[in-house]
Amino acid sequence: MTDDLEIDPAADAIPRHLAPDDVGLVVPRDFVFAQPFTFKSGQVISGFTLRYETYGALNATRDNAILICHALSGDHHCAGWHSPADKKPGWWNNLIGPGKAVDTRRFFVVCANVLGGCQGSTGPSSLNPETGRPYGIQFPFVTIGDMVRAQKLLLDHLGVAELHGVIGGSMGGMQAMLMAIEFPRFTRRVLAMATTGRESAQAIAFNEVGRQAIMQDPAWNHGDYSKDAGPRVGLAIARMMAHITYVSDASMDRKFGRRKKENANGDAYTFDQQFEVEGYLRHQGQSFINRFDANSYLYITRALDQFDLAHAYGSLEQAFAPLEGDTLVIGFTSDWLFPPEQNRTLALALLRAGKRASYAELSTDLGHDSFLLESEELYSLVRAFLERGQHYDSNYSI
Amino acid sequence: MTRPAEKRTVDMQIIADWVEPGTRVLDLGCGSGALLDYLVQSKKVSAVGVDLDFSRITASVRRGLSAYQGDMTSFMRAFPEQHFDRVICSRTVQELADPTGVILEALRVGRTLTVGFVNHGFWKNRINTLVQGRKIRNAVYTTEWFESRPANPLTIADFEHFCVAKKIRIARHAHLAGNWHTPCRTLPNLLAGYALYDLAR
Repeated sequence: MTDDLEIDPAADAIPRHLAPDDVGLVVPRDFVFAQPFTFKSGQVISGFTLRYETYGALNATRDNAILICHALSGDHHCAGWHSPADKKPGWWNNLIGPGKAVDTRRFFVVCANVLGGCQGSTGPSSLNPETGRPYGIQFPFVTIGDMVRAQKLLLDHLGVAELHGVIGGSMGGMQAMLMAIEFPRFTRRVLAMATTGRESAQAIAFNEVGRQAIMQDPAWNHGDYSKDAGPRVGLAIARMMAHITYVSDASMDRKFGRRKKENANGDAYTFDQQFEVEGYLRHQGQSFINRFDANSYLYITRALDQFDLAHAYGSLEQAFAPLEGDTLVIGFTSDWLFPPEQNRTLALALLRAGKRASYAELSTDLGHDSFLLESEELYSLVRAFLERGQHYDSNYSI
Repeated sequence: MTRPAEKRTVDMQIIADWVEPGTRVLDLGCGSGALLDYLVQSKKVSAVGVDLDFSRITASVRRGLSAYQGDMTSFMRAFPEQHFDRVICSRTVQELADPTGVILEALRVGRTLTVGFVNHGFWKNRINTLVQGRKIRNAVYTTEWFESRPANPLTIADFEHFCVAKKIRIARHAHLAGNWHTPCRTLPNLLAGYALYDLAR
């Protein structure tokens, strides 16, 4: 995901975290699972931590929970604010809140940083209790399935009896589908956006370039680096390249065109930054290295590449065979990383398997990150899917 | 003349009569899902609709239906033979770019294909054209030609000729008079306002 959701604080009359449709100030929590956890690879760790946030309240029947699954570089902070001084809210704040498409007055929303991540959950940058040093690449290989099983343990811990729904874009969509496949009775609705049942060669290729940028950086040191060091150059380049795949030709052209930086020296023959897009990408790279761990990037991109529903279960239809709930897949016309065709394929396989499934396609020019789009059309579809068949007295209009 | 709202529901009742309970139904051009919703309620079918429009898909999803946004022919190509018990093509057939292709594909993925259409051979439609010399506008076709989607107005005679030419078996039919309610048993191409067919291979 890109880091573009910056909001101008001066534009708001009231503090943004006090807006009536905002979940407000939120506090992340840690779920500590103190028993051995076996990864798909067979490797075991003695326990793990997932950092998570919740919004809204679990109902008496404990079945109004919605799990939000984040994408490659996302985290548990998907709505609200950690502090009134924050520059921006959680990454899906436009979708989640009181009266919003994912209505926190109705639903108990849970979002956790994935296993293998680096935003507070256990991952390669965590200390290995056996050595007292960061795991580095001694950390077990993580799969999307491992991420999902860890989140299921969190939901059990929170007392969730049944998921009203699981929602995710990109890698989050993969987790959402796997949650329903692995825990079909537990998962009543799946909303997967801008996702795929398996990455194309092109998507794997992009991930590999990112990994090589990291691993070819001498500071990577086979994954053995201290917290404030590491392959910062490699990680920044990986992020710059990946960022391009999250947007589109049209959206980049609209945002930057061929505009030059103010201090650019005319048509000077130099390799200094001249175009705004260059400065933008460098900024993306720099802000990323301050919040993301390079080894986590290797692990999570590898998990993305390995994800292959058809291969893991024999066919997509067999993968989806256990599903008991409803699925909605949303594709975005300008997404060239996980293009509409790959999203359509999922819905068609679900229908062939005799499941209740829908596919909708939104015309946007924002590329893969379109699932974060501020779009009334998207909100109304998400709301229709989550709230159908439910009759509420409350009259709300936004 | 029957009011348009009733005209919209009359073929729903006939189709519901033809649909076997609990079967798998595909609606080509499902719109906001009114027909499928009715079939789910009355016949407990397992329903899928296809439409091109995002907001109609949203409306169908809101009704709890499975709805797929996309081209109907490519949709059907993704399914094995006779995956559906019934495919429905209600008031869509005159707007298809490739009616033959869609109908043959529907007869491959469905055991039965139900087609419903307005009979442009109906005497009032003929007189309209003859007297006014302009595109038909009435309670059903409310728009001027320049506001309308491209259409191939067809008649009962046209459709039955097509079935003979393509060796498609007509399993049953319903011809309705100009009020779209009373059955029409004589000279349907002249006296029927609306026609429904169940086709099979």
